[in-house]
Amino acid sequence: MVTYIVKRILLSVPLLLVISFLTFGLNHLSPLDPVEVVLHAQGVPKITEELIAETKASLGLNRPFAVRYFDWLAACLQLDFGNSYVTGKPVWSLLGPAFLNTLKLTLVSVIAIIVFSIVLGVLCALREGKALDKSVRGISFFLTSMPSYWLAALMIWYFSVKLDLLPTSGMDSAQSYILPVAVLVISYAGIYFRIVRSSMLSNLNEDYVLYARACGLPEGKITARILRNSMQVAVSVFCMAVPIILGSTVVVENVFAWPGLGTLTVNSILSRDFPMIQAYVLVLAVAFVLFNTLSDLINAALNPKLRREP
Amino acid sequence: MNLYKNIRNDKLAALSFSVILVIVAAGLFAPLFAPHDPNEVQMELRYASPSWGYLLGNDHLGRCILSRLIYGIRPSVLWVFVALVISVVLGGGLGLIAGYFRGKTDAVIMRICDVMLSFPGYVMSLAVIGILGAGLTNVLIAFVLMKWAWFARVIRTSVLQYAESDYIKFSKALGFGNFRIIVKQLLPVSLPDIAVTSSSAFGAMILQISGFSFLGLGIEAPHAEWGMMLNEAREVMFTRPELMLAPGLAIVVIVTAVNFLSDGLQVALDPKLIVSKPKLQRQEIPSAVERKGEEVA
Amino acid sequence: MKKRMTVLFSLIVSTALLAGCAGGNGGKAKSAVGPQNELIYATAKDINDMNPHLYPGSMPAQGMVYESLVENTKEGIKPLLAESWDISPDGKVYTFHLRKGVTFHDGEPFNAEAVKMNIDAVQRNASKHSWIKLSTHIVSTKAIDEHTFELVLSEPYYPALVELSMTRPYVFISPKNFINGETKDGVTGYNGTGPYKLTEHKTDQYAVFEANVNYWGGAPKLKKITSKVLPAGETTLLALRKGEVNFAFTDDRGADSIDVEAMNQLQASGEYQVIRSEPMNTKMIVANSGNTESPVHERAVREAIWYSVDRETISQQIFSGTESVADTLFSKNVNYADVELKQRGYDLEKAERLLDEAGWIQETEGGIRTKDGSPLALKLYYDVNASSQKSQGELIQNTLKNIGVQLDLVGEESSSIANRRSTGEYDLLFNQTWGLAYDPQSTVSAFTSEASYYHTTSGIAQKDELYQKIDQVMVSTDEETRKSLYADILTIVHDEAVFIPITNGSITVVGPVNLQGVSFKQTQFELPFEQMYFETK
Repeated sequence: MVTYIVKRILLSVPLLLVISFLTFGLNHLSPLDPVEVVLHAQGVPKITEELIAETKASLGLNRPFAVRYFDWLAACLQLDFGNSYVTGKPVWSLLGPAFLNTLKLTLVSVIAIIVFSIVLGVLCALREGKALDKSVRGISFFLTSMPSYWLAALMIWYFSVKLDLLPTSGMDSAQSYILPVAVLVISYAGIYFRIVRSSMLSNLNEDYVLYARACGLPEGKITARILRNSMQVAVSVFCMAVPIILGSTVVVENVFAWPGLGTLTVNSILSRDFPMIQAYVLVLAVAFVLFNTLSDLINAALNPKLRREP
Repeated sequence: MNLYKNIRNDKLAALSFSVILVIVAAGLFAPLFAPHDPNEVQMELRYASPSWGYLLGNDHLGRCILSRLIYGIRPSVLWVFVALVISVVLGGGLGLIAGYFRGKTDAVIMRICDVMLSFPGYVMSLAVIGILGAGLTNVLIAFVLMKWAWFARVIRTSVLQYAESDYIKFSKALGFGNFRIIVKQLLPVSLPDIAVTSSSAFGAMILQISGFSFLGLGIEAPHAEWGMMLNEAREVMFTRPELMLAPGLAIVVIVTAVNFLSDGLQVALDPKLIVSKPKLQRQEIPSAVERKGEEVA
Repeated sequence: MKKRMTVLFSLIVSTALLAGCAGGNGGKAKSAVGPQNELIYATAKDINDMNPHLYPGSMPAQGMVYESLVENTKEGIKPLLAESWDISPDGKVYTFHLRKGVTFHDGEPFNAEAVKMNIDAVQRNASKHSWIKLSTHIVSTKAIDEHTFELVLSEPYYPALVELSMTRPYVFISPKNFINGETKDGVTGYNGTGPYKLTEHKTDQYAVFEANVNYWGGAPKLKKITSKVLPAGETTLLALRKGEVNFAFTDDRGADSIDVEAMNQLQASGEYQVIRSEPMNTKMIVANSGNTESPVHERAVREAIWYSVDRETISQQIFSGTESVADTLFSKNVNYADVELKQRGYDLEKAERLLDEAGWIQETEGGIRTKDGSPLALKLYYDVNASSQKSQGELIQNTLKNIGVQLDLVGEESSSIANRRSTGEYDLLFNQTWGLAYDPQSTVSAFTSEASYYHTTSGIAQKDELYQKIDQVMVSTDEETRKSLYADILTIVHDEAVFIPITNGSITVVGPVNLQGVSFKQTQFELPFEQMYFETK
């Protein structure tokens, strides 16, 4: 097991390197000269050739690409993503707290999504083809078709304005979580519920179930066994839900004025604040890879057969 | 043909398909359907209620909401479809090549796909928009850039099982060219997978583009787009909530239709699914897993 | 299959019901009155860096915490941290007699030494302050004794006291907050002498200001003021109605967080009052004459845009009549601005004629005009947080399209628009004059400042003459010369149509009905919170 873990973690390193390299290169894909972008963003009134040369030197942009990349990488590993072009503050001092806020929202939502999708998925699988199954499936289809910001607006309107039960926006109290989490659950639970359901169904029809029934094992025990096996697929999928939702809360945050990554990133994009965008992409891509690795590891722990494959 | 028959038998899918057809037709022939010029500003009609001349009322600049809704089909649905087609052609082509030739070609293409897929879809689009700047074209470019890898991988997997089959070997033995084998024999067998995967991606992409426009990163004024209309309606979200309805419902209707159609296609193309045989149920997993990364939250 | 259809049908019905609810009345307003003695105001932007010697910070917030030597009021310059002052007969030496017993929030004494340290720190970062011409005239600073401070100028400069009264940069922060004797690279705390002190700040969430009980002018009645970051528009309106915030006002970029209709609704609810200041500034579109590659480099194009702005409709429809039409850069009630200038109304024929004469030809009906193969396409930048700017932009875009001019609208953050203004990376952008305390002298001297309107004015034919006159007017001591110089300056920029006026803006405050003592300063950038109090019923 230990070898597998080490192997799996080592395997993700080259991928992380490629990702970091791509993210670093993003700046250079832009049609704009990075030096001019910096100067413009700082509001320097008159851009002269000397100033460009000077800034180039002070930003270290005149060094070879590879040298800059490794310097940048080393700095990133210490969470030093440089300074925001617009505010001049260190990127992490802005991104860090926002990341934490988004993470809080994400974790609460993912937990809620897991609970909902497992409960509904199991119930529907056990009653496959019955009215409950059909209606839950239909509703989930419909709910995942709604633009989440639209849903958010409707929910704010109904619960905050009409019924006056919940705060409209911000992140002041535990109550502030209810609406954004509800929107995320409605938008995503449908997808994960379907995964749990079909995973359950495929297990229900496995030979071991038939065998267990034939041996007269109690039905509860069989269901527990099925659940355990079904969770193998589900666990890895749920693991991936964390980085995916982390990256997709943008619109929901925007509607609820959640002080998270989404709001920050949209503003950075609008003001072309490249170091911020770069750091955002890097942080999320790394989270994506880490959770991917984690889900593989969990899978391996649950299913020893997998460990043999690299 | 079987597919046609299956779809026809699935009333929900048939209904969805006709809804999509009507919407696409309305978008293509928008000038015929729209009662007014969608960009015509008439300040004296600012926020006017629905009337016979303007069935859905007027927006903050007195523009006809119905006409904007109809013209909005173009970026919200048709252009998204174009982006989808491009990424399917690109990804599908590479997937076919990878699956057919195997070996090094396969390894290279798949490693590139791995890297592309290691960025969460939404983050990737945001990064591309961040670099290229906001705007409809850039959002569509971002879509193509991040979707092709997914299609490549799905289609490669579906081709793999056939690439080693006897009739392909037979064709090779007969001396048919690689290109001909790919187009004549592999493409048809992978079509069902392409149809299912792309139709399920379509709904997600429609949601996404409206989401970007809602954030102000998509289409520029004055062009009509559903997400943009919602963004504008949001300014008066609680004073005039009725403005949120039309574009919002339009999105819900098209995405629901696309999703039901995709579901129907999946069943129709793989009749074994209807019988709900154990192993084949797993087929549902990839398409559902795939959708998760693309949903607009 | 039938069941699926039933499910679908019931879903449609339930959405319709939900939608039906959404279409109903706008909901009821809850009591807006929050905890007494506390104001929570909504703002679209974080207070940002509160360093008073730099510019990213929110001015209303800085105005609560820091104070200047003197205050600019309707009746002229009044004492603030300086109780009195003497000006030498040659107009070069200013001696300030400082108020005694004033301390910074951290307990440090406010004295001549602190004044000198602060002003010297500002002066050492001169390039950032070039827009404020006083910074180029200060020769020396001296602490004569504990409470006497001397400022020596290189030449007499008539707006000196006015510029010393501004919200920044000549305000005072505790010497203990300096880093290595400087403030330009950041400060360790935000201790000013003002009526409120910053006690808590969560970036992009909120900032809390508490009353300074030791304030030299007496402890303010409102004990706590919270600045809460909320997206402008309906979120703010909703928060106001629910009492999550209870105050909103026009921010330092001139953007209102809620529109006029929403304000009227709040007022009608009986929970809120809406108070408007007299017109304070002119909202305008600034054209980049300095960019020779842009069509707006040509005066005819700028004039054509001027003629294409339907100010009456903007004033009546977008602002519901709360802002009046502006035909000139400064309204007549601004000092020295009562000058006869050519009237340019809404006249599309005239606009078309100007463009035709300038060689911008419309080849096809409804097409874009071109000249030497390049199209007449312009970019207009607006603040994404100001919905009224977008609406105005869309209206003008539509009008211009009809005369063959393509106008692209680009929404950006206000800070990035400010950056564009100084780098000259724009064709057109929304802006506003700086308000009664700054008009005309500061706005006019900003015409030459590279951080402000240099790019706007640098492409006009009479550029040198204009800059020369601006230099002259700032040092002129004779009232009549000043008058005639200002008349010339304003005529030049008016004729060149580089500042395209739209409406006269004012500050609008939305607050609880029982809030008293709401008044306005001469500057549009801050509010006298210390004078507000709740009427006890």
